[in-house]
Amino acid sequence: MSSGNSITTIRLSGELEISRKQEIRDALRRSSEDRAILIDLADVTYADSIALTELLRFCVSAQREAIPVALLVQTPQFARVVEYAGLAGAFKTFNDRDAAFTYLTVAGKE
Amino acid sequence: MRQPSELRLSCPAQSRYVARIRHALAAFLEALAFDNDLRDDVTTAAGEALANAVEHAYPSDSGKAAGDLQLLARVHSGGRLSVDVSDRGSFIRREPVPGRGFGLRIIRAIARQMSIDTSRGTCVSMTFEAPSAASKR
Repeated sequence: MSSGNSITTIRLSGELEISRKQEIRDALRRSSEDRAILIDLADVTYADSIALTELLRFCVSAQREAIPVALLVQTPQFARVVEYAGLAGAFKTFNDRDAAFTYLTVAGKE
Repeated sequence: MRQPSELRLSCPAQSRYVARIRHALAAFLEALAFDNDLRDDVTTAAGEALANAVEHAYPSDSGKAAGDLQLLARVHSGGRLSVDVSDRGSFIRREPVPGRGFGLRIIRAIARQMSIDTSRGTCVSMTFEAPSAASKR
């Protein structure tokens, strides 16, 4: 996890699947100082519904406290599995890092 | 007539084996010249069925020892691909829980057909259209 310009970045990579459930859950923890969060999934090569459930749980929790969350998605499998799960509207996803930061910078000030 | 290509795998129903089975299925499909997107989609659907079996087939409070799960993938003449994921555990029909249960939704979105047979354990049967080089041979 890294933090800069008031945007916290959580980076996950590789295959997000059942054997890493606890690791994913542990990575997706917020601190009281978070103002805006980028979940960097650019290097995720595979994700299953268990990973999506953990991401959804995290985003819903952040949303309750008006903390904007953006997902950086650059691999086709992840983008498609989100669609298949019917969760396209549940996440704010970007395939461009700068665009994600711009969104979080603006949304974090609102 | 060419015999259907087939992949049979079995492993303990434990989470650490799911990725290995998925990778073996991906290699099988790659060898049959399935394109990348279809290969990803089929392994995604199979991965959901495998994870479901690991999570639910042999619950620790059932008193039964954890058993095995099997995957059978077959390419049929005409290009149809079938993938069955089965176990000999118990099937428990669960009420939908908001924010969960995306696995079956993902399988249904990818597979052309999907059925669940719970007569002897659980068998999730999925079929896919496979416009691959394999089907054209």
